[in-house]
Amino acid sequence: MTNLNTIDPAAVLDEGKIESDDVVIGKSRIILRRFLRNRTAVAGLVIFLSLTLLSFIGGFFSSWDKETIDPFNIGVPPSAEHLLGTSQAGIDLYALTVEGTRVSILIGVVVGLVSVLIAAVYGCTMAYFGRKVDKVMLFILEALIMMPALLVVAVATSGGANGLKNAVPSWLLLIIVLLVFSWMGTARLIRSLSLSLMQRDFVKAAQYMGIPPRRIVWRHLVPNIGSLLVLEVTRGVTGAILAEVAFSFIGIGIKVPDVSLGVLIGQSTSQVSTFPWMFWAPLIVMFLLTGSLAMMNDGLRDAFDPSSSSVGRAKRSNARTGKTLTGKTQKKNK
Amino acid sequence: MTSNTTARDTAQSTAERLRVAGLHAPTDAVLSVRDLNVRFNTENGVVHAVRGIDFDVLPGKTLGIVGESGSGKSVTSMAIMGLLPPTAEISGSVRLKGKELLGLSDKAMCNYRGNDLAMVFQDPLSSLTPVYTVGTQIVEALTVHNPTMSKQAKEARAVELLGLVGIPSPKDRLKAFPHEFSGGMRQRVMIAIAIANDPRVLIADEPTTALDVTIQAQVLEVLHAAQEETGAAVVMITHDLGVVAGMADDIMVMYAGRPVETGSVDDIYYSPRMPYTMGLLGAVPRVDVAEKTSLVPIEGIPPNLTNPPTGCSFAPRCPLASEACLDGEPDLRTVVPGTEHRAACIKSEALADVDAHAVFAAPAVPVSRFDRLPRHERKTVLELRDVKKHFPLMKGALLKRRIGTVKAVDGLSFDIREGECFSIVGESGCGKTTTLLEIMEFHKDQDGEVVIGGLSNKHAADAKAKGAMRRELQMVFQDPTGALDPRFTVYEVLAEPMENLGMSRPAIRKRIMELMELVGLQADHVNRFPNQFSGGQRQRIGIARALAVNPRLVVLDEPVSALDVSVQAGVINLLDKLRAELGLSYLMVAHDLSVVRHISNRVAVMYLGKIVEIGDVDAVFDNPRHPYTRALLSAIPVPDPELERTRERIILQGDLPSPLEAPAGCNFATRCPVFAALPPAKQEKCLTLEPVLEPAATDQQFACFYPDGELDADMVVVHENH
Repeated sequence: MTNLNTIDPAAVLDEGKIESDDVVIGKSRIILRRFLRNRTAVAGLVIFLSLTLLSFIGGFFSSWDKETIDPFNIGVPPSAEHLLGTSQAGIDLYALTVEGTRVSILIGVVVGLVSVLIAAVYGCTMAYFGRKVDKVMLFILEALIMMPALLVVAVATSGGANGLKNAVPSWLLLIIVLLVFSWMGTARLIRSLSLSLMQRDFVKAAQYMGIPPRRIVWRHLVPNIGSLLVLEVTRGVTGAILAEVAFSFIGIGIKVPDVSLGVLIGQSTSQVSTFPWMFWAPLIVMFLLTGSLAMMNDGLRDAFDPSSSSVGRAKRSNARTGKTLTGKTQKKNK
Repeated sequence: MTSNTTARDTAQSTAERLRVAGLHAPTDAVLSVRDLNVRFNTENGVVHAVRGIDFDVLPGKTLGIVGESGSGKSVTSMAIMGLLPPTAEISGSVRLKGKELLGLSDKAMCNYRGNDLAMVFQDPLSSLTPVYTVGTQIVEALTVHNPTMSKQAKEARAVELLGLVGIPSPKDRLKAFPHEFSGGMRQRVMIAIAIANDPRVLIADEPTTALDVTIQAQVLEVLHAAQEETGAAVVMITHDLGVVAGMADDIMVMYAGRPVETGSVDDIYYSPRMPYTMGLLGAVPRVDVAEKTSLVPIEGIPPNLTNPPTGCSFAPRCPLASEACLDGEPDLRTVVPGTEHRAACIKSEALADVDAHAVFAAPAVPVSRFDRLPRHERKTVLELRDVKKHFPLMKGALLKRRIGTVKAVDGLSFDIREGECFSIVGESGCGKTTTLLEIMEFHKDQDGEVVIGGLSNKHAADAKAKGAMRRELQMVFQDPTGALDPRFTVYEVLAEPMENLGMSRPAIRKRIMELMELVGLQADHVNRFPNQFSGGQRQRIGIARALAVNPRLVVLDEPVSALDVSVQAGVINLLDKLRAELGLSYLMVAHDLSVVRHISNRVAVMYLGKIVEIGDVDAVFDNPRHPYTRALLSAIPVPDPELERTRERIILQGDLPSPLEAPAGCNFATRCPVFAALPPAKQEKCLTLEPVLEPAATDQQFACFYPDGELDADMVVVHENH
């Protein structure tokens, strides 16, 4: 099959012309504009991006790493030497937090993206074929929802699977287990959305042209639920981070010597009163992570929802008299 | 529409104009609108949707506001009702019985809305709350404005109102929920709610657009009765010039947010003085005219109202535009001294006796190479033999048992020859679309035989034969927006069917350029997305996609019903041209009989899954034999006020019966005007025997026992009130 998505230079040029034409605005530009209009969402995006950046380059700002023990400073509060203090083992807490943030973000982003992708393909396929395929796939889905995720996580990451544990690092294992249990809700949502898309004429048109089902799902259904997918990704990332923190907190997720925010929080809960910095630093980072994602989600919904009122209002200005044209030349929105 | 007679001087300031208007406004106008302006904010900037509207409506009179979508009709009505979102900016003056409405708070407006000022909306399916009974909703409208009214009095009034709008056994129906009513019945309930408090002004925003023609005739009748009962002034907003021709006293034609021509009905229809009005009138196909002429297309699209027009807003689309037209927007000026006929065109004097076809250069009628051949010598493209589609009706939660059969399509047989257009008409629910789906389905297990280009579904229904069949047969959908994937560029849309056939990439490219030219689109638009086109252009893309694989038969499912009149004409002309040039055959489904008459060669009238009359389009339309065909034809409004006033209308009682209650004999007996007038002895035959198609003329067949029977007097309405 010829690939139509390859970029043709002439097309790009023409696209540019359309973009600059003030009548026709590209959809991506409208979405970007609407998103930028929501201050909270932009703040959320900035916080999330800077946390991500910090988690990758933050290690260079400190001479300590997550394994070196400082025997002279065990369990000390924040100081010039150790920005966030040290743990009871004498490891620099700043280095630990940076490392933990990276692991948490990695788990969150991978699980968020992949689970939505699985859900999209699964949900669309279910909706497209309907009847028996739908019934069987729905049964599998329901069965997975009923499965006690907590137990499976516990078994997979500790006792029962020693061979597996040695082969893969604990964060990867957790990602896999989280993936298995995180896509079902989204898949059901996508199924119902696709079912209504199926009623649209362009799907019927493709069927009547004799386009094979696989292509209809991939080229017509999946792209058209794109905006929902973006929302689900941010939601999925938040969910995965929280799940990781929760599992690690109760000791069945990430295992020491690997660190994550959940591990750090879990280790320090018993001594909040004596060593408060050990508890608060990772907890605040976690709040910043999930909070910034929640803020972004709100703005994304505004941007993608065509019926949202984020368009701003026609300003009441000197446009009162019909004759003066100043009212019409004013710039839109605030 | 009697406006203040002071000459409107352009130099006069708005404030002064308003003062003068206020002082000299005729005291008897119930609603007077002055210099109404509405602005909205969009992603593209501030849109000036309504730009200075003035009108007065007198009690008992009807003002029709006509224009294509986006011309500001509905925004005007919403502004009057105070229903626009707070983000809109409204200026000017709206006076109801002398009291200013603009600037009132939402709470203050509530005293007027539903009381002195009532509205009927377009979509009756969504304007009633599904969880309350119809009675509750009428009583609610009464309670809000008459807190002291007793419960019994309100109920009595509700029954009276339902009776007034023609709902049978109103007392029992009070307790019915909206879903138990059909679309037409719901629209009647809406009218009942609107007139509950004897409004002075009734605004009807496209009240019949969502309804079938036969139901449209009923609802217009009810609206008429309601107006007579309450003496209200009616503002009727519509895009259908036929609907207002018989209803309105005055017409205001709107374009780009401004009135471009106003006057009495006769002035507008018989001597339009603005090229836009002329174009609109010429663009409407007529159901009562057999002679074939091309329709008048108005090229181009309405202007973008984010930038204020510097010249006449219609100039870019106007064939008569000259340099002078681009210099300043013309104001409404009196055309004939002493009348209220005014037009906003600097050339209106010169347009007194000009034919729209000459102005807009309507294309010549295209002639197909098949037109010369007699029908029986042409090859058959599609043949249906006794095709049936029955749906079982199940009941019960656990153990489903069959309680009946819905006969959506019941024994259909017809054929289509090369180069001809065959149309199926009927009310919604009669099985038109199911017939199309049965043909598109092309499956071995179907009941009945479908033969497409020599391939029968009985003998060749494997994947290969299906592929060959798809090449013969393509479809154009009703809603051009829904039929094109919003994420595809035009190039991808057009390439999809060809890729599927495995054509090489350069060949596809070449073919797409050909197609774009064929349907009248610019070749450099292939990289745009569907939402960057207007409705008419989108439908052209849909047609181009159908033609991509060179089919011989194109199935058209209501191809123009979602389009504006002016655009519709262009698409119809295009379909006509393609049929002639490419030797295509069409199978069209439509509810607009005027379009059918214009484009088809043969027509079949369907009622409850059966063909009741079939034959040559002129024979069937000029000399309809089946009472249902006669009723359908009489229900179509014609854009000719004189004719509309004197025309005899057959108003069918009730709606399409549910397929479960279909009578044993003739399906149509429950609503038949002939049947109702028959003596009981003859009625027996209709109720027990099923009429079969019998020939009437050379190419006309009908299924009725008493085609020449008297019509029941109750079902025939003639207006003589004008």
